[in-house]
Amino acid sequence: MKNFTLTPENQEKFEKISKRYPKIDSMMLPTLWLVQEQEGWISPEAMITVSELLNTTPIRVYEVVTFYTMYNTKPTGTHHIEVCKTTSCMLCGSKEIIAYLEETLEIKPGETSADGQFTLSVVECLGSCGGAPMLAFNGDYVENLTVDKVKTLLKESSNGN
Amino acid sequence: MSNIVNIVIDGKEVEAEKGAVLIDYLFKQDIDIPHFCYHPALGTDGNCRMCMVEIEGSKRPQISCDTPVKEGMVVRTQGENIEQVRRDILELELINHPVDCPTCDQAGECKLQDYYMAGGFYESRLEAESKVKAKKAVDLGKNVMLDQERCVLCTRCTRFTDEITHTNELGIFSRADHSVISTFPGQELESDYSMNIVDLCPVGALTSKDFRFNQRVWFLESFEAICSGCSKGCSIHVDHKKEKYKDDQIFRFRPREDHDVNGYFICDDGRLSYKDENDNRLNDASINQETVSTKEALTNIADVLTANPNDTLLLVSPFLSNEELALIKEYTLNNGTTLSGYSPQYYDESFADDMLRTSDRSPNRAGMMALRINENEKDFNELLSQKKVIVVIENSYFEDKAELFKDKKVILFSSKDTKVKEFANTVLPVASFLEKDGSYTNSESVTQHIKSGIRKNAPVGTLTSLWKAIESLSKEKA
Repeated sequence: MKNFTLTPENQEKFEKISKRYPKIDSMMLPTLWLVQEQEGWISPEAMITVSELLNTTPIRVYEVVTFYTMYNTKPTGTHHIEVCKTTSCMLCGSKEIIAYLEETLEIKPGETSADGQFTLSVVECLGSCGGAPMLAFNGDYVENLTVDKVKTLLKESSNGN
Repeated sequence: MSNIVNIVIDGKEVEAEKGAVLIDYLFKQDIDIPHFCYHPALGTDGNCRMCMVEIEGSKRPQISCDTPVKEGMVVRTQGENIEQVRRDILELELINHPVDCPTCDQAGECKLQDYYMAGGFYESRLEAESKVKAKKAVDLGKNVMLDQERCVLCTRCTRFTDEITHTNELGIFSRADHSVISTFPGQELESDYSMNIVDLCPVGALTSKDFRFNQRVWFLESFEAICSGCSKGCSIHVDHKKEKYKDDQIFRFRPREDHDVNGYFICDDGRLSYKDENDNRLNDASINQETVSTKEALTNIADVLTANPNDTLLLVSPFLSNEELALIKEYTLNNGTTLSGYSPQYYDESFADDMLRTSDRSPNRAGMMALRINENEKDFNELLSQKKVIVVIENSYFEDKAELFKDKKVILFSSKDTKVKEFANTVLPVASFLEKDGSYTNSESVTQHIKSGIRKNAPVGTLTSLWKAIESLSKEKA
């Protein structure tokens, strides 16, 4: 197994945040976010490192990572598209958006396109019902979606990165 | 202040310890309260919700595994209301369970199956297609197979690896309908006690790779015995069966609850040591490598022993029962032979741990010491060089030391087919450890009795019966 280490900046952040927690293993979620921001996903090696940082066992970390769907347990593509599927978005047409993405990228939700550019996820409510249907593109919200808007989004990001 | 309180369970007054867990008193009253997650060794977890009871004065049913006993408590385990509550909870447990009992190895000793049959859920209200699928037949290592679909998530196994072995191999991953038990990616079970989770698992999610698909449990017979794997002498159930046209065979060992010795568990090596009982057995008596009847061998041995009593060394072993050792000790005292229990080959420091396993891999050394049978190395070597007749009784010391038999007359009593046979003048098979009755004293001076339930087609004699025959033959000559 390859070893995983936090970058010096993230290590600094970790130490700064850890002061807020009287019990270090309570800091599981913020630490996992640091890892995911750094790597894009949380590998088993990273979980072992996190368990050492938090003075717990790797299995506890793995339980937490798999419990929350927002932690990626697989590497993502360059761009991570998270389409909301919850009520407001569904009523306003998220199904068509998902179908269009599936067709264009030739992948199913949870998969990464063959060129490694896009990962498609279908997620629960992102709290932006006013802009339904919406998706999060690398964490940035894109609202009031239409198929054309998604088409442009994909095109722009493939060209210009 | 007295700690004893009076409670009423199903109309019957019972004395109970204040603050103790209610479910234990239900068990004591022989009330078979359905439960998955509660286990006396692992304590309360309260996640399965099956052990619901009605308590007078509480608005809702309570789980009896997490209810402390209080003075004047009135508990009902029966009745339409509470039974309906338990039925509903069971139906929830069954939502994603495949109910594949006919192909499941746990069938016959499965809690879920028992409750399911008692509850009468013959027609499912769910489509089979709507059930969440998970991994089947995952090899977790250490002889444990996992079927995630059958799991009811009682967490007995994860609590066992957390609290009992502290090895933390198992966890619950994902959530809700998709929750499954598994190990960390790429890791296997590593504890020497891993197979206990097979017994702990109330359903067919964890099964023994060694036992599965070998026998249906309802065909097995069982008797209580102890494990001979080390001087701890853990209490076990021996599950065996005599199939039609076949010989009686042991299929598995299971731990037997015994708070004086092993508690609830046994180690994997002990559990798998049943194979030694079945395999590599010595069946035929022989004199100078020629097969003879038991009677001929006995006569031969009686002749040799009566001719050279003062020139004979009897070498016994800590695998013999207290009764057998006492019989041979008495013979020695009456006939002037010499006796030794020298058996250093059974010590294995690497086997010991801080749970159950001890470094002495024989079951009755304490019994041998209590009978003052000498196992001193110096005395043994002295006797070995002096005496001309060596009688080896169930002792494997000479296994790779046959050169020590030079110019000696050797008589071998053994249940195992050993190499020593080739160097022995007379060989007599004896009943194995679990084929005979007897008592054994463990390293903590606890004496336990075995009453064997094995019925071989052609049983070989027990050492006790054979030795008594030798004694009476010797008397006839005298």
